[in-house]
Amino acid sequence: MMSNTIFMHPATYFIIGAILLPFAKRIKLQKALLLIIPLLAFYQIHHLPASFGVCHFMGFELTFGRVDKLTNVFLHVFTLMALIGSIYGLHVKESGQHMAAFLYVAGSLGTTLAGDYLTLFIFWELMAFASVFLVWYRKRKRSIEAGYRYLLVHTAGGLILLGGIFLRYQNIHDLTFTRIAVDGATMADYLIMIGFMLNAAVPPIHAWLPDAYPEATVVGAVYMCAFTTKTAVYVLARGFPGFTALAILGAIMTVYGVAYAVIENDARRILAYHIVSQVGYMVCGVGIGTVMAVNGACAHAYAHILYKALLFMGVGSVLEMTGKSKLSELGGLYKYMPWSLAFTVIGGIAISGFPLTSGFISKSMIITAAGLDHRIFIMLMLSLAAVGTFLSVGLKLPYFIWFGKDSGVRAKESYWNMQLGMFIAAFMCIFLGVCPDFLYRMLPYPVTWHPYTSYHLSETFQLLGFTGLGFYLMVNYLKPAAKSNLDVDWFYRKGALVFMWVASKPIGKANDWIGEVYRTVGYRFTLAVSKAMSWFDWEGIDWVLDGSAKGVVRGGDGLRKLQSGKIQHYIGGAAVALCIVLIIIVLI
Amino acid sequence: MIAQLFGYLRDHSIVLKWVFFAYLAFTLVFDFFAERHHAHFWGDSVIGFWTLFGIFGCLGMIVVFKGLSHVWLVKGEDYYDE
Repeated sequence: MMSNTIFMHPATYFIIGAILLPFAKRIKLQKALLLIIPLLAFYQIHHLPASFGVCHFMGFELTFGRVDKLTNVFLHVFTLMALIGSIYGLHVKESGQHMAAFLYVAGSLGTTLAGDYLTLFIFWELMAFASVFLVWYRKRKRSIEAGYRYLLVHTAGGLILLGGIFLRYQNIHDLTFTRIAVDGATMADYLIMIGFMLNAAVPPIHAWLPDAYPEATVVGAVYMCAFTTKTAVYVLARGFPGFTALAILGAIMTVYGVAYAVIENDARRILAYHIVSQVGYMVCGVGIGTVMAVNGACAHAYAHILYKALLFMGVGSVLEMTGKSKLSELGGLYKYMPWSLAFTVIGGIAISGFPLTSGFISKSMIITAAGLDHRIFIMLMLSLAAVGTFLSVGLKLPYFIWFGKDSGVRAKESYWNMQLGMFIAAFMCIFLGVCPDFLYRMLPYPVTWHPYTSYHLSETFQLLGFTGLGFYLMVNYLKPAAKSNLDVDWFYRKGALVFMWVASKPIGKANDWIGEVYRTVGYRFTLAVSKAMSWFDWEGIDWVLDGSAKGVVRGGDGLRKLQSGKIQHYIGGAAVALCIVLIIIVLI
Repeated sequence: MIAQLFGYLRDHSIVLKWVFFAYLAFTLVFDFFAERHHAHFWGDSVIGFWTLFGIFGCLGMIVVFKGLSHVWLVKGEDYYDE
């Protein structure tokens, strides 16, 4: 690639930024760099040509930049989110966390811009490998373990995706990443779809998300809630619109995520489960596949990134200041962290789809599209999930953290940069609700629909109002307890124990037995063979090569006398040897 | 300042409760006047349909999901560490 093309790609800025961060920290410019990089990228995405960065590699044509309206709306919100995340994380001194976040964003932008499956796969894996550090940097035993599980699940998903890509190449000798027709989809395409679905956290391959996100660092979770699942929504919207399986699974997701959000105790786990629910709307919209539904999926992705990040920021502030995120340990914080409360409530009403917030103008698009497509059951499931959303995230979460019983936890309000990050996200939530055309203009297809009709308003007023009544009546029954709930990760977390038992007991025993047999029978045989070989080496080869082997042995004896046992001598010796080898190679 | 506002609202929760009930009544009245051009299914033409959907959906979800958690899913926080 030409150098100007490299700098056209917004991911380049984040990768360079990640490399420069530790140096910038030395000269006290880390904070400046954290702001400059996302701003540069945000500027750059508005000046991209329709296609760039096409290069040939081992007979494949790689396209690093393919830009259209679908790409643009995601690039816009991804870079905006990177800026908000950077501001929110300004107080974090560790460069490593910021580097992981930047590389993660780069992976996400690269995937979004990729025009072929190979490029997509490279950035796809970069995302997984960079984001796991956002979990590990929490540095607790549970985070380390959760990070490994996260990495294993994503590696498995990546392999399925790669298998699909290889099969597809074998079938049609083309790796261009374009829309796949519903009728002509083959095994290869379904494997690719499963790989994408894993990152979109579609049940039953969703458990990595509520497992890992609550264990991430405060800032890490804010990034993670935005990028992995929404990049997956983008690739699904690009490749698989109109697949009915996605519409059905998406509708199931919406209710599934809400179910766990109602019963869980850890605030960040509630929000993580609720991502499953919200991404369900988008997957469903992609699956319905009509112009309005795909528009709705994109609009919802845009709006969702902002309010879900806002919620993670609000709850993250509480975790940062109090060290607690479990509802059963919190309560009565409104006196101490009122601004975090205010911002979290804005996120809560936006996600619930209150009029004049971003949720109202995006969620309803998908629900209406389901209705227009005569998928009534799906439409009702999405509406039910909207009820559960307000119940779990709009009411339960803020109520038990900031009101409820006084837990005795005293805390200061969070840092100014955290509040600024929350303010920007909260502003966008309201701004999009008041000026929906700002978002609608960015969508892939022209929008002729208006959210603010009297019937739609009436429907929303009733749904939200009477959900509030339900909460009011049942609030004692919803009281949080220090418990957690099983999910399908049980199969691999408990399954791993069974595997370890099988590995240590029956297999270990068999291994010992075989080892014993080998020692008694094989060892003697090997000895005899090696004796024969060494005789051949020593006498046979030497006879051919005129005594060089014996010469090497004598040289080795000489070298042994040079060994001093000091590491710096070895390094120096290795360097000298390397220089000699290089000189010889160059001279020859 | 904003903390005092929240405290004030909390101290006057009785008033808030009646404001909330008044709002619920308003939503039902509003539904009589909403235009119903684009009914997607029978529920859209029933006045107060979403009221019933909201309240029964909410109560139903709490009972079903809490119940599922109670009889099956709930475990101690250290379940996987044991």
